[in-house]
Amino acid sequence: MRHDGATLWRLASAQAKAFALAAVIALAVFAMLLSVAGKDPLRAYVDTLVYVFGNAYGFSELLVRMVPLLLTAVAVALPARIGLINVGGEGQLYMGAWLTTAGALAFAEWPAFVLLPTLTLLGFVGGGLWALIPGALRALRLVNETISTLLLNYVAPLIVGYFIFGPWRSPESSAYPQSPAFVEAAQLPTFFHSRVHAGLLYALACLVLYWFVMTRTRFGLEMRAIGGNPEAARRLGVPIFSYMLAVMFVAGGVAGLAGMAEVTAIQGRLVSELSPGYGFIGFLVSWLARTGAGGILTMSFLFAVISSVGDILQITQGLPFAVVNILMAVILFIVLAQPARSVGR
Amino acid sequence: MTGRKWARAAAAAALAALFVGNPAAAQNKLTVGAIYVGSVNDYGYNRAMKDGLEEMKRNIPGLTLIEAENVPETAESQRIMEGMIQQGAKLIFATSFGHQQFAFNLAKIHPDVVFEHAGGWMQAPNFGNFFGATQAAWYPMGVAAAKMTKSNTLGFVVGVPIGYAIGNVNAFEMGARSINPNAQTRVVVTGGWADKAKEAAAANALIDQGADVVTMHVDSPATILQIAESRGAYSIGFQSIEARQLVPKGWLTGLGFTWGSFMTATAQSVIAGTFRPAMVRQGLGQGMMAVAPFGVAVPEDVRQLVTATADRIAKGFNPFTGPISDNTGVVRIQIGESWGGDKMGNFDWYVEGVIGKAK
Amino acid sequence: MNTALVIGVLATSIMSGASLLYATLGEMIGERAGIVNLGLEGIMLIGASTGFAATALTANPYVGVVAAAAAGAAANLIFAYLVVGRSANQLAAGLSLMFFGFGLSALLGRPFVGALTHSLPRLTLSGLEPNGTAARLLSHDILVYLALPVALLIWWLLFRTRWGLQLRAVGEDPAVAFAAGLKPNVLRYQALTIAGVLGGIGGAHVSVALALTWVEGMTAGRGFIAIALVIFAKWNPLWAVAGALLFGGAEGLQLQLQAAGADVSPFIMNMLPYLLTLLVLVLWGWSRQLAAPAALGRSFVGVE
Repeated sequence: MRHDGATLWRLASAQAKAFALAAVIALAVFAMLLSVAGKDPLRAYVDTLVYVFGNAYGFSELLVRMVPLLLTAVAVALPARIGLINVGGEGQLYMGAWLTTAGALAFAEWPAFVLLPTLTLLGFVGGGLWALIPGALRALRLVNETISTLLLNYVAPLIVGYFIFGPWRSPESSAYPQSPAFVEAAQLPTFFHSRVHAGLLYALACLVLYWFVMTRTRFGLEMRAIGGNPEAARRLGVPIFSYMLAVMFVAGGVAGLAGMAEVTAIQGRLVSELSPGYGFIGFLVSWLARTGAGGILTMSFLFAVISSVGDILQITQGLPFAVVNILMAVILFIVLAQPARSVGR
Repeated sequence: MTGRKWARAAAAAALAALFVGNPAAAQNKLTVGAIYVGSVNDYGYNRAMKDGLEEMKRNIPGLTLIEAENVPETAESQRIMEGMIQQGAKLIFATSFGHQQFAFNLAKIHPDVVFEHAGGWMQAPNFGNFFGATQAAWYPMGVAAAKMTKSNTLGFVVGVPIGYAIGNVNAFEMGARSINPNAQTRVVVTGGWADKAKEAAAANALIDQGADVVTMHVDSPATILQIAESRGAYSIGFQSIEARQLVPKGWLTGLGFTWGSFMTATAQSVIAGTFRPAMVRQGLGQGMMAVAPFGVAVPEDVRQLVTATADRIAKGFNPFTGPISDNTGVVRIQIGESWGGDKMGNFDWYVEGVIGKAK
Repeated sequence: MNTALVIGVLATSIMSGASLLYATLGEMIGERAGIVNLGLEGIMLIGASTGFAATALTANPYVGVVAAAAAGAAANLIFAYLVVGRSANQLAAGLSLMFFGFGLSALLGRPFVGALTHSLPRLTLSGLEPNGTAARLLSHDILVYLALPVALLIWWLLFRTRWGLQLRAVGEDPAVAFAAGLKPNVLRYQALTIAGVLGGIGGAHVSVALALTWVEGMTAGRGFIAIALVIFAKWNPLWAVAGALLFGGAEGLQLQLQAAGADVSPFIMNMLPYLLTLLVLVLWGWSRQLAAPAALGRSFVGVE
């Protein structure tokens, strides 16, 4: 497959056109649904545009929303290149948040310039170890990783729940079950009086690194070989076993960073509801982007815009935020229905 | 970037149109925003909040109310409240406990907007706290339960075991014990304020273990009340006095919040520019809470006893006066000591007679 | 260990397990045909909201259940069209269906939050002492009583009928089945329709019989538990009954234990079903047992 500029551009714009068409149709379908429900879809769409593009706060919220999506998407895309399916982003996010909290509570007296890198590392390791379990099970040919990552998604929030109701229950507000608030030094810095935080830098760095490794290193090429034909790769001496472990660990780690960002920047503590399905949305983002880095950036942005529609629906139209999932799903349905997409697994 | 420019122009035009097309804007006295953690149709907490806000709206013509239901107790709520501020809200009611931090964050960013949070403790020049002083009000509920129980076992379903909820259980049990020293309260915690399936299972479990009066501290009493009714148990409601419509046979009485006058007074102070933040905790005596009407099953003498007890509470009787021991025998409130409103969030122990673990 | 506790746990297991069982059986049929549907949670939510709404509108819970079944089938047909008709990626399609279910159920259910409905009536044998042991164990709604017969029916369907044989063949190797003259896509559509019906019923049971109300997201992950259950049951309906009791019981067990005064962490208890499933999977993998339909997850592109 040629990767020269012209072909890539053609491919990308063909994809973009197909997606844009899907989005337009979906917006129309969604508008019809909203009208039937007695709401005003045009008003909602206009309000969203105003909010998101005409308003610095609205735009900053978009960026905030993109952070976990970028990270969880990379967490899916990386193993996908090697033929592994990681639907465990949720769990990996929670475990990253969990280990970060352990560090934030234990090392609360450390200064920020030591504490924040430590917490970043802990977030990465937490998610990474959680993904390593299914990775190892798969490498040992014991359990399919789709199933094991899915199962572990449910165990992780329960572990978090156990800790915030138990050993980490905040004593100052024995009132509400959550961890104590993180000290200032443990909170990621924000920019420009908005909630945009350093996690955005992590996300972009991961994305760039991902792109670089996949397209510019031998490792990336070897991974493509494994993904395409594991047997041949094995015979060529590529250490599939170690690569599987490494890739799952790194992928889980990236998702873990999303958890770390949530607790240090957005929530300021460990709470039981960290993710409205970021892990799953990340899967969809990666899938739509066909694991390409540029696509991940674009799709994350678009999904963040869709979420803003949900906010507007809630505030101005009195609809539950969840309703915006219909819009998201219909876009996906239309894309899924197009024949040129993946055939087979 | 022509795409972006067009979007900006369209947005500006739309924004202008919003203003031009909205003549009523000139007469708006105050825009009030309110976020609810659940649905206002819950016969419970959210309904009571909604009723209060509606009363405020009726009392102040020209007031605009923006609302959002099902706002989770996460950073999402900050986004929603910010959106309301963008729409012109100058007074925000954050009606659920878990909204506190996020409302507080916004209070720092928007010093010109007043925030009132329900159930917390944070304070700032533009941030106040309010709640019903529920704990003492549960005492007469315990009295009602003890008079009606035959098995001496009472059941209490708790959503999240925060200090205030544990305090409610304690007052309930103490009220029951004042009538019947053998009355015991079994507690089941579901782990969330609105996990309906768990609430149903919890109510069943309590009745399995012998409870014939069931009550609760969760957002909506509906599920638990209906389960109790289906198994022939008595029930006592909480949050909204309207809940009695759900259980004609088994309803004894209940507690509800009546927020209207407080909310009206707050809105008026914001309009007049005289708002002062405070930690408001009002109970039966000050009109923030009310005892619900009695059910058909309750005989006249019990009604009078419960009403008299509620009056005592309204006039200042504090059941949390020592000596009071917890259910492992350790004395927690000493002789002569009295726990007031400021300590109601500190409960992490149950009184004697409660079967359950608070931690 | 008091008897009230044991009875209570059994009763909860049966009640809770019933909705799980329906959803599991539905997913199982689809997976036997080679299709994995991660959107089961969405189907259950659509069933729960539709069932509750229909019951509130018609004051008839049976109508509610039927409506839920129909809605579940309709929603699953969207999924079926995508993965069978368009050969779309099953995981992506399933997750999309899940989000669709979250959203649609929230929209449908919203006007009905707080509505008072007639729940599915509990059918008891007359003459039983109310709240006695027998009554507690034997007074359930019709869906609970039907759960076991339905499981047996599905077992019979899969293993004793020609249709079942063909379906399983498609799940093992659709290309071979196609070559043998079968129509994999038709069979898959049929399987997914049945799966939709069962998933919808499972969801309706939660709202119309268990919790007697509707709130957003009320199935609380039951759809995913069901997917785990299918694996745990080794794609066999009879084992699914045991699994549903076990998983249903675990959920209720910790609440019953609390009421009895025991101190147990609800979180640890809720983890057990998942960890158990994982353990079981590891053991099978260790002993090289291949229980899953061989073509699970792969779409078939043939010439009809």
